Amino acid sequence: MRYQILHRTRYLYAAPVRESFNEVRLKPVTNADQTVESFLLKVLPACPLRHYEDFYANWIHHFEIPEVHSTLLIEANTRVSTHSRSLALDATPASMERLAECARMERCFDYLLPTRYVDLDPATWRLALDITAGQTDIWQSAVALMRWVYGNVSYTPQSTTVHTRMSEVLSLRQGVCQDLAHVLIGLCRSIKIPALYVSGYLATERASATHAWIEVFLPGVGWQPLDPTHNGTADDTYVKIAVGRDYADVTPVRGHYKGTQDRRMEVEVSIQPLDPA
Amino acid sequence: MTQAAPAGKADREIPGTLAQYSPEDGCFDEWVTADAEPRPHYARLIHELDRLGPEELHRREETGRRIIHEQGITYNVYGDPKGMERPWRLDPIPLLIGSEEWRGIEGALRQRATLINAILADCYGAQDLIRSGWLPPALVFGQADFLRAAHSARPPGDTHLHFYAADLARSPDGRWWVVSDRTQIPTGAGYALANRLVTSRILPEAFRDCQVQRLAGFFREVQASLAALGSRRTDNPRVVLLTPGPYNETYFEQAYLARYLGYAMVEGQDLTVRDDRVFLKTLSGLEPVDVILRRVDDDFCDPLELRNDSMLGVPGLMEAVRAGSVTVANALGSGLLQSAAFMSFLPGLCRHLLGEDLRMPSVASWWCGQKSAETYVLEHLEDLFIKPAFRPHRRGPEPSQPASAADYEVLRRRISFQPHLWVAQERVRLSTAPAWTGKGISPRPVGLRVYVIATPSGYRVMPGGLSRLVPEPGGRFISMQRGGASKDTWVLSDAPVDEVSLLHRAGAAVELRRVGNNLPSRMADNFFWLGRYSERADATARLLRSTLLRFNPESTGSALPLITPLLDTLEMQGQLPLAAEHPERRLNPESLEAELLGAIFNPRQAGSLRAIADQLERLGMLVRDRTSNDLWRVVSQLNDKLTLPADSPPLLAGDAIGLLSQTLLHLASFHGLARENMTRAQGWRFLDLGQRIERAAYLGTFLDAALHSPEADNPSVLEAVLEVADSAITYRSRYNLLPEMAAVYDLVLLDDTNPRSLLFQLLQMEKHFARLPRERDGALPSPAHRILIRILSEARLMDPRDLHRAAAGAWHATTTGETLRRIRADLPRLSDALSASYFAHSAISRAGSG
Repeated sequence: MRYQILHRTRYLYAAPVRESFNEVRLKPVTNADQTVESFLLKVLPACPLRHYEDFYANWIHHFEIPEVHSTLLIEANTRVSTHSRSLALDATPASMERLAECARMERCFDYLLPTRYVDLDPATWRLALDITAGQTDIWQSAVALMRWVYGNVSYTPQSTTVHTRMSEVLSLRQGVCQDLAHVLIGLCRSIKIPALYVSGYLATERASATHAWIEVFLPGVGWQPLDPTHNGTADDTYVKIAVGRDYADVTPVRGHYKGTQDRRMEVEVSIQPLDPA
Repeated sequence: MTQAAPAGKADREIPGTLAQYSPEDGCFDEWVTADAEPRPHYARLIHELDRLGPEELHRREETGRRIIHEQGITYNVYGDPKGMERPWRLDPIPLLIGSEEWRGIEGALRQRATLINAILADCYGAQDLIRSGWLPPALVFGQADFLRAAHSARPPGDTHLHFYAADLARSPDGRWWVVSDRTQIPTGAGYALANRLVTSRILPEAFRDCQVQRLAGFFREVQASLAALGSRRTDNPRVVLLTPGPYNETYFEQAYLARYLGYAMVEGQDLTVRDDRVFLKTLSGLEPVDVILRRVDDDFCDPLELRNDSMLGVPGLMEAVRAGSVTVANALGSGLLQSAAFMSFLPGLCRHLLGEDLRMPSVASWWCGQKSAETYVLEHLEDLFIKPAFRPHRRGPEPSQPASAADYEVLRRRISFQPHLWVAQERVRLSTAPAWTGKGISPRPVGLRVYVIATPSGYRVMPGGLSRLVPEPGGRFISMQRGGASKDTWVLSDAPVDEVSLLHRAGAAVELRRVGNNLPSRMADNFFWLGRYSERADATARLLRSTLLRFNPESTGSALPLITPLLDTLEMQGQLPLAAEHPERRLNPESLEAELLGAIFNPRQAGSLRAIADQLERLGMLVRDRTSNDLWRVVSQLNDKLTLPADSPPLLAGDAIGLLSQTLLHLASFHGLARENMTRAQGWRFLDLGQRIERAAYLGTFLDAALHSPEADNPSVLEAVLEVADSAITYRSRYNLLPEMAAVYDLVLLDDTNPRSLLFQLLQMEKHFARLPRERDGALPSPAHRILIRILSEARLMDPRDLHRAAAGAWHATTTGETLRRIRADLPRLSDALSASYFAHSAISRAGSG
């Protein structure tokens, strides 16, 4: 599939602010599953943009606005084509014994630890053990955990904030896609399945196209997506922007400025299918 | 570590100082051998101590204490209200290390620093060590100190570790071991320097005779090496020391080092980033910064990319580092290798990376992230010293060791659940060194911290170090937070030593300068408020004294109109509660007296003299590294003076008057020191500006209140006016008659020869404005200057003779009265405008100078 994506963020400050430093993660990665055909980032007040690749190979734009301003507009226009090739939900590619290998791989270990929003405590560990009892395959265990999250944590818009921790979501039993992803990550990690957080767009969600899901690592296969909000894997309607240990690593727009705390944020995201190139 | 043969306590006759000295069995003693023979390299020092005798040594220690006090050498203790500014504790007897032994330590630490840097470079670069199994991933990724944002930001020369320190301990068999590595912010080199300064002065004879290696050469290398890190092509790269601020435990040391090395000491808010370059905000604009010597933990250095709750950092710094325009020493992320969990990997890594054996062993450590180590630790839990492997995100108290069986069970379970978070170390038995107990010399456990700097030609070790004593005889923990003392460390030389000093370098001629480095805006702000508060204290004390002198409990009713202008002014300045809310309080002599005393001593009352003194002390601390020690001492003593002991009897008005007079003298010495000892640079200019604005403001407030009084022409009220304006003597010398209204107001408002008059303050301000940095460049006067010009011309046109002609009670409605009120209202605006253009940097465009 091919998509045209508009992602516009506007900050309106109650009083003029200054010395604003920002980093944004809005440019989708290019990999075997998707190709970025074009990407245009517009920032107002206009300022020079710089970019670099972060520790997780995400694309980061960095800019600073020293002068006084009362609105900040960040607009990303992306054209991307996707070609899905995800694993069947009933596949059994890697037995649970192979998990020990993962802990020794330098690019996996990061995804086995507790992080800012993901807690690993004995209660989560027990829960994960109960859900995956009898499973002998890593992929099947992860799928079982995803089904449990889908069935037990209800998708309820506005029930949480961007800073809600996974443990709170588990006791509330409701949340948005970000929270469901955090819960699934925590469950996977507590039984030593490496799990990472993915931020991206979902073309089937016209209203709020930004989405979050996870990927788990399978020895011999690699990273495979799972979406606990939709109880399945990711197909070619998913566009991946960035990955990290949890939401804190992939925040789309992060900034620091001097001035009032009183501000409003408006976000507008739209994703349009295009004809094949 | 192996046990040495038990020390045989000699029954033989030992002369002098050594007679009472008996080290513990089984410890290595730095001073005497197991046979109680003095070690050869101590011979000269022991001889000298014998010559001095205990009484003289006691006197010398007192002298040392006095020098520490005079120099203001302090250490801040966290979590203790009295902990700010605790005097540094120094044991007068230095620790001596022979030259041969030192060469061994030196070589081992150079190797260790090289090794640690190589490991850092790999962890923040290719990560080959992790990929090939030399380092377990958990050891690196499991740490909050691994800063992912710093990955692939290659520092110049691949040097991540510029400053390194190692804590050493000597085992009973006489070998040195590394107890901990300090790679984040190695602290204490400044204290080592201060210790040297004091000890060489109290034991000058011994210092001369022992051929002690000097420290200055090391610090000269520090200067040269940091200067070489600048990326800009300039002869004079700007190096700044980034401090977390005066509440940090080692603030004194930071100020001391900054002064010694000649670096500006800055806080995060003094710096800003423009187009990937770091700049210092100064009064004349933005000035580029090339090298940042940081004393802020790395994760606090950039609130954008690192910890976003940090108030200490510079947003955008990480990106500037990535762009290579600024070098941070130590590199952001260097704290990773501080973990004791790395220690057990060092011998193998040393052979792998450097192709040689590790020369100095680390104290035996077991990182539970490895299965075999975890098993060993769980089996030997009671014999080991267990601690978290990685630095916690927030600083807490030092961990206490488990005591009961239940504690051990909890610990066991925590280790099993997340083994990689724990490390165990062998319990170290420290060697002992002679320490002065106040009466005699006794052995105390000692540890040594040694400092290393990266130079373009490899690592160099400071010939000396910070020796620290465990306060109690059998103790094991070295902690300045817990009140341990320190010692100077003398590394002896085989040959006579050369004199080196940082202050003048042989060969290069000094370029003459009349201006110092540009003042950071924040400092100008602090000086300005220091000036304002010092004058506010002066005015408040003067008003209160005049009020109390006229206050007569017997005849409050009749005397009240005469002191009303004073009370009104105190009210407007916030010293007294508003009379409109409690009119009866003024009529009741007891409650009025209590309120007046509260206005002096109550620290919780915002405008009280005591609260002002608190502010003065706080500001004095903020500008401390830019003012003389005398000035600081005057400021801190003022606060002590106004602090009543909790058990003191209730004060009488008479006692308070005496105290207020003393306070005024104290403030006079503050102003005298500021006038006589500060160069006429920008700092002084802003201090004086603050003082002038404040003096003009309180004079305006008071005179306005006096003109509103129905008794304004009463000689007693006029007398008070002269007294508060400190102009009574001048008046008498000129007029020789009872105070007359027009003459009094002319003297305190318009006499430009009277340094207390309103016009005099305005003229002084005008002089300062003419010399402010950016005031000269612009075509038109700045907003603040425009206000001043208006006030000044209004003041010049005043004619106080109209007071003479006015009807009684209508004085405030005269032209003089009206003008005075306008000036009063304009002064705060002048202050705000000045702040906006000089301190806030809000008007700086991105094309700003630099």
